Amino acid sequence: MRIKYILLLIFLNVSLFKSLAQDQKMSENEIAVFKQSVAVVSKKIKTLSTDFVQYKHLDFLSKDIETSGKMVFKEPNLLLWQYKKPYSYSIVFKNGKILINDEGKKSAVDIGNSKLFGKINKLIVGSVSGDLFDDKEFSISYFKNKDQNVTKFIPKDATLKKYIKQIELTFDKADATVVQVKLLESSADYTRIVLKNKVINTKVDEASFTN
Amino acid sequence: MKLLLRISSILVLVLSSCSTNNVVKDYNKMPLDKTSMEVPYFSNPATDYVYKANITVYGNELTGIFIAKKINETTHRVVFTTEFGNKLMDFEISENDFKVNFILEELDRKMLINTLVTDFRLLLRSHYTISEQFENAENKVYSALDKNKMNYLFFSKPTNQLSKIVYASKRKEIINLFYSSENNIFAERIIIQHQNIKLKIELNYFNQ
Repeated sequence: MRIKYILLLIFLNVSLFKSLAQDQKMSENEIAVFKQSVAVVSKKIKTLSTDFVQYKHLDFLSKDIETSGKMVFKEPNLLLWQYKKPYSYSIVFKNGKILINDEGKKSAVDIGNSKLFGKINKLIVGSVSGDLFDDKEFSISYFKNKDQNVTKFIPKDATLKKYIKQIELTFDKADATVVQVKLLESSADYTRIVLKNKVINTKVDEASFTN
Repeated sequence: MKLLLRISSILVLVLSSCSTNNVVKDYNKMPLDKTSMEVPYFSNPATDYVYKANITVYGNELTGIFIAKKINETTHRVVFTTEFGNKLMDFEISENDFKVNFILEELDRKMLINTLVTDFRLLLRSHYTISEQFENAENKVYSALDKNKMNYLFFSKPTNQLSKIVYASKRKEIINLFYSSENNIFAERIIIQHQNIKLKIELNYFNQ
């Protein structure tokens, strides 16, 4: 019996250490170095295209809802977000307009100077490029583990806060690019977007952004 | 006197034709071949029911993902999110009760919530106590009381599949619910069409 307890304690301890080891807070110095390296990389980005897999986690479901597709960005603010599986749905941010193509059914929303959509656009591009370090917009905290750096952003803007409680960006340590975006709605429900096959600064046609 | 009688009989005729709706007009009333019925489309507690949703409301289009799950004997959880995954609304609905876990401020209107709860309740309802039965060449129809309204369940005759549920008052149809189902266990495609307001909800099941 006692051995069982000891084993249990050891196990708990180990897992506690493990979880501590997973996400350690960065020091001030590490934050400065990390921010600098992300800034260097994101500054270089003129175009970016990447595949993504989106996992929608709702705590009451037995498995996450998985959708996937492609994202293309071109400086300064052209953005295509395209779902290919299991349905075809794409959205383009272009010249103050949102163009939607839902299984061939097209529509457009004129967002003009809508501050919120400006913010959302900036948020998506910033999330993927990593350039989101705006202290005015977010309370930011920095963590690290063996292979990755993790930053947590809590929106300060009341409107944005209604949609998103917290954004977590996970960066690959080796090349300082974003590998995962996690949008938290509550403690239990979130959207996790995994980016892969990222290509930076290849030629991207304007035509990619017609919808 | 004769005239009065004629007028009153016409009046009775007019009134009585008003008071029965047209849902099963021209159908023959039949003896009941069952007294209760189960609709299985949202009834399995182990299944996550996930649909792509298109909502057309007064000419405006809204799309997203519709998710439903039976969380206990009486209650379903119903969530509607955008394609990006952020929640627009999150309800818990049972036959006699509902709870709003979350709704986006812009959508937080009592009338909208009540309309959607009525729709979802109709969509998720699995048990019906049959009160009458009708038939014509194409369909078999079972009617069941739904509080102070009626539900009419239409079964196509050759396949014996549930193709439509009509939610109606004594006088007229209020909501039509159309189903396409291959296996009679879940519906691949569902259309909720309102008759009195310009609201249509299309749901297409998606395999992940």
